[in-house]
Amino acid sequence: MAMKNDDSFNRAKGISLKVEDRDANKSDVALKVVIYIICIFLTLLSILPFWIMFVNATRSTTQIQGTAVSLIPSTYLMNNFKILTSKSFNPFRGFLNSLIISSCSTVLAVYFSSLTAYAQVVYEWKLRNAFFSFIMAVMMIPTQISMIGFFQMVYKMGLTNNYLLLILPSIQAPQMVFFMRQYLQPALPLEIVQSARIDGAKEFFIFNRIVLPIMKPAIATQAIFSFVGSWNNLFTPMILLSKTDLYTMPIMVSLLRGDIYRTEFGSIYLGLTLTVLPLIIVYIFLSKYIIAGVALGSVKG
Amino acid sequence: MKRKSSYAKYGYIFSIPFFIAWLVFMLYPICYTLLIGFTDLKGVGNTNFNILWDDLFKNYKFVLSTPSFKTALVNTVIIWLCNFVPQIILALLLTAWFTDKRCTIKGQGFFKVIFYMPNIITAATVAILFNQFFAYPKGVVNDIMVGLGIFKDNVNMLNNGTVARGIIVFIQTWMWYGYTSIVMISGVLGISPELFEAAEVDGANRWQTFFRITIPCIKTVLLFTLVTSMIGGLQMFDIPKLFLDGGPDNATITTSVFIYNQAFAGSYFYNRASAASVIMFIIISILSIIMFYMLRDKDEVALRKLIRQQEKAYKRKQKGL
Amino acid sequence: MKKFLACAVSVAMVASTLVACNNTPASSSETAVDPVDPASSEEVVTPAAGEGGVINVYAFTDEVPNMIAKYVADHPDFPYEINSTITATDGGGYQEKLDLALTAGGADAPDIYAAEAAFVLKYAQGDMAQYAAPYEDLGIDVAGETAAAAIADYTIDIGTNPDGKLVGLGYQATGGAFIYRRSVAQATWGTDDPATVKEKIGGGSGSWDQFWKAADELKAKGYGIVSGDGDMWHAIENSSDSGWIVDGKLNIDPKREAFLDVSKKLMDNGYHNDTTDWGEAWFADMKGEGAKEVLGFFGPAWLINYTIAPNCGGAAVGEGTYGDWAVTESPIGFFWGGTWVLASKNATADPAKAAAVKDIIEWITLDCTETGLQYAWANGTMSDAGTKDCVASGTVMEISNGEIDFLGGQNMFDVFVPANANAKGDNLTQYDETINGYWREQVRLFAAGEKDRDAAIADFKQQVADNLDVIVE
Repeated sequence: MAMKNDDSFNRAKGISLKVEDRDANKSDVALKVVIYIICIFLTLLSILPFWIMFVNATRSTTQIQGTAVSLIPSTYLMNNFKILTSKSFNPFRGFLNSLIISSCSTVLAVYFSSLTAYAQVVYEWKLRNAFFSFIMAVMMIPTQISMIGFFQMVYKMGLTNNYLLLILPSIQAPQMVFFMRQYLQPALPLEIVQSARIDGAKEFFIFNRIVLPIMKPAIATQAIFSFVGSWNNLFTPMILLSKTDLYTMPIMVSLLRGDIYRTEFGSIYLGLTLTVLPLIIVYIFLSKYIIAGVALGSVKG
Repeated sequence: MKRKSSYAKYGYIFSIPFFIAWLVFMLYPICYTLLIGFTDLKGVGNTNFNILWDDLFKNYKFVLSTPSFKTALVNTVIIWLCNFVPQIILALLLTAWFTDKRCTIKGQGFFKVIFYMPNIITAATVAILFNQFFAYPKGVVNDIMVGLGIFKDNVNMLNNGTVARGIIVFIQTWMWYGYTSIVMISGVLGISPELFEAAEVDGANRWQTFFRITIPCIKTVLLFTLVTSMIGGLQMFDIPKLFLDGGPDNATITTSVFIYNQAFAGSYFYNRASAASVIMFIIISILSIIMFYMLRDKDEVALRKLIRQQEKAYKRKQKGL
Repeated sequence: MKKFLACAVSVAMVASTLVACNNTPASSSETAVDPVDPASSEEVVTPAAGEGGVINVYAFTDEVPNMIAKYVADHPDFPYEINSTITATDGGGYQEKLDLALTAGGADAPDIYAAEAAFVLKYAQGDMAQYAAPYEDLGIDVAGETAAAAIADYTIDIGTNPDGKLVGLGYQATGGAFIYRRSVAQATWGTDDPATVKEKIGGGSGSWDQFWKAADELKAKGYGIVSGDGDMWHAIENSSDSGWIVDGKLNIDPKREAFLDVSKKLMDNGYHNDTTDWGEAWFADMKGEGAKEVLGFFGPAWLINYTIAPNCGGAAVGEGTYGDWAVTESPIGFFWGGTWVLASKNATADPAKAAAVKDIIEWITLDCTETGLQYAWANGTMSDAGTKDCVASGTVMEISNGEIDFLGGQNMFDVFVPANANAKGDNLTQYDETINGYWREQVRLFAAGEKDRDAAIADFKQQVADNLDVIVE
């Protein structure tokens, strides 16, 4: 793998003979302006729905029914919060439940996916390619339909109301394994593994102490996706949990929506806002790994 | 050679957790799905079924001959292609800009965080929001269009299939370009900085660096993006289901929505839904194999071949001894 | 050092989450009633009589659970613990979960469950009817008590299973009427009296002829008659002589087919504001702030309380359209919405539990006394913020007062009690929700001029054929 890098390195050297234009500075500025304009435009597009959501959380249901989209906050925030908590919505309980499920499944998914991917990249074993094809096949199975069988299995075994059923399946996350494998293939310097072995390190030790730190950007990326996916997952927990104490945030929000005669839109938006806030915080915390970039080279050097 | 084989067992050991979890949680559901595609199982609460021995592929034939499924297949491909292309272009551009060492964009950390944000909101919320934007006879987009004089009067834009598809394409692009960018950027961050430094020292310009170093180095991550986006695109469900429930007139129905409607809305045709799932699985597999084949690493394949030949030669030698 | 810290933090995180993992299943299994044996669906745990056990309640809002909570609070010696599972109807979640729980049986199986009008047929008469216990098996004297409570026929029809036994009743009456703006009627006909308006729109006539004349008269004055075509759909759907399915075949009743022309007529003549129910513009018409003011809406009592009143732009007479409303009889009887309460066969297996379930269900659906649920519901005393609503029992409505300020002091029960008698419950099928969706989409496209009449009907038939277990010819 390292060989390949050197290869492209040499190619890059080959083309480097063309000397860069001295006018570059001018075009640089122009390019920067274009980049900033596009980025700011995209930023507005990204922020808009959040802003509408926050604003609607401060508006009354009738205001929202009158004009669904508004950019100016109103004064019904406390009122909406009262409605929210009166409707068997317990934000703290829901937050805790969601946190337990999402963080456990994220940790499991990230760790075991990295492990599985590592086995794909580092070791030569007979069934390696077959197993990779198997992982890819698992990824391609349409999810809607296999849920039917999964739910029936859980209900038949009487295992409803059990968080393990929501957490443990994340050990097999084919898409994540695929990503980790694709990431490790060019990025993992095998010499590190070799030299660690020579130093007498055990394989598990090498993986846990040497390889995992190298994979930080990939882990951070995938952890975010996994956490967000698990946090927002509504349908599976909704079907498998029937005790109110165990309900997650999205289930609670869906209950607000469920009232058929009188939908309290203000409190729904408040519920959605409360659901999304922790995600933003987790994301900002993890994003520092993506932004700063714990580049592999730094480990290597 | 010998040392390598002593490590091979770790390949198995490290793969065991994945496999066991799959066996425990997914094997039964998948087998069940496969089986009921060949049965007459329909109707909620019904668990008795008979295998259709007379006409084993009855459900498959039905699905393939149904106009809705054909429409769904065409829609799925159109919607996927139309959002995939701009998404990947945008993501590549952002990757190029944000990883360019010579032209640092200030606040790029902020931008990277922000661009992924649309993906944080649940699809249900996004669908409701866009429904309200395009509401008729009173809605934001109508107000703007009438205000600008583009429309003479309020128009029910969502009655038009092409517009509805277009909006779904936009939502999908908007929700996923940040994800794609982050994946690619994280791939670039895995590249050794020495490579870039060397390129700079050698005077490679921006485009040369990007196309000759960045792209080849993230080729594996690119393959990941292509394959997963295709799988995700062909299984697209949330937005088409929640935005207009496949309407107007099936203009936004995707295959996953079709499968869901067969299984859960109305008559609970579990058998037809499972047949449709298997058909989709086959289509996706074929396309993935083509993609893998097209993007395979030729050098690596050659290297593997060489190793295998050597191994064989080695074994032959051993046997000869 | 930094690396070490990062490691420590991540280890701590993993550890804490693992601890959490360990805790939760353990605590949840502690609270679980009984470890369920996979094969024990027929075996029901028998609690010592009077010593309590658990009654499982499945519902899609907190409405029924709140009622039961009130019942338990009023009856301190009630021996059972109530375990309520509320699941939203979002994305089919409630039905999916209820179906799984009913099919699986066992200690967590539902004993009492609620079903909304949109899907009650499935549980009372359709695929899931086998799980519903007849009220008579609970020990309720069905014929006597329904007669004494004067329950509307449509409620009973819907709650009766294919064997002719009653399995579900509602607590609310959702027979519909025409709810109109007094000021618009005054400006058009010189009077806002419900009796005159009834005559003008052909209330109770069983046909729409008079209604169209009224629409013309309103149009001449610059008003619309309804907000959107959806307002008329419920009345038209319910007035048809046959349902969507007859003998397993798709059947387009002439009256329902005529909805195509009704919708087109409304559109082409500008009789309405072309709104969609539950959209912004629809609510604007309740404030009188639409493109043009409209006369009124078709709907049951709950539409007044929960939808029109909060959106009228005021909270007291004189503010917005508050107090500017009245109800009168619709040209054609109909009903819209409602919740039915069912008991599962699981509950009847144990006589003690069956008796407790009977008490609850009887209290909710058939008790006509002032301590029964329906009296509180009709008079708006169920909770602090309660509003007066129509209830299933005509007897209760007779002893209650339906006068509300919102209707300018009109007693709404005068109109709604007969309206309940006119509603029909025999032309429904378990697929109505889905089929109505297909039909209304085609009607909308036809009325908007996107396709012609034949194409709309053909596309409708194709959708039914593709998605439902119905023969289409």
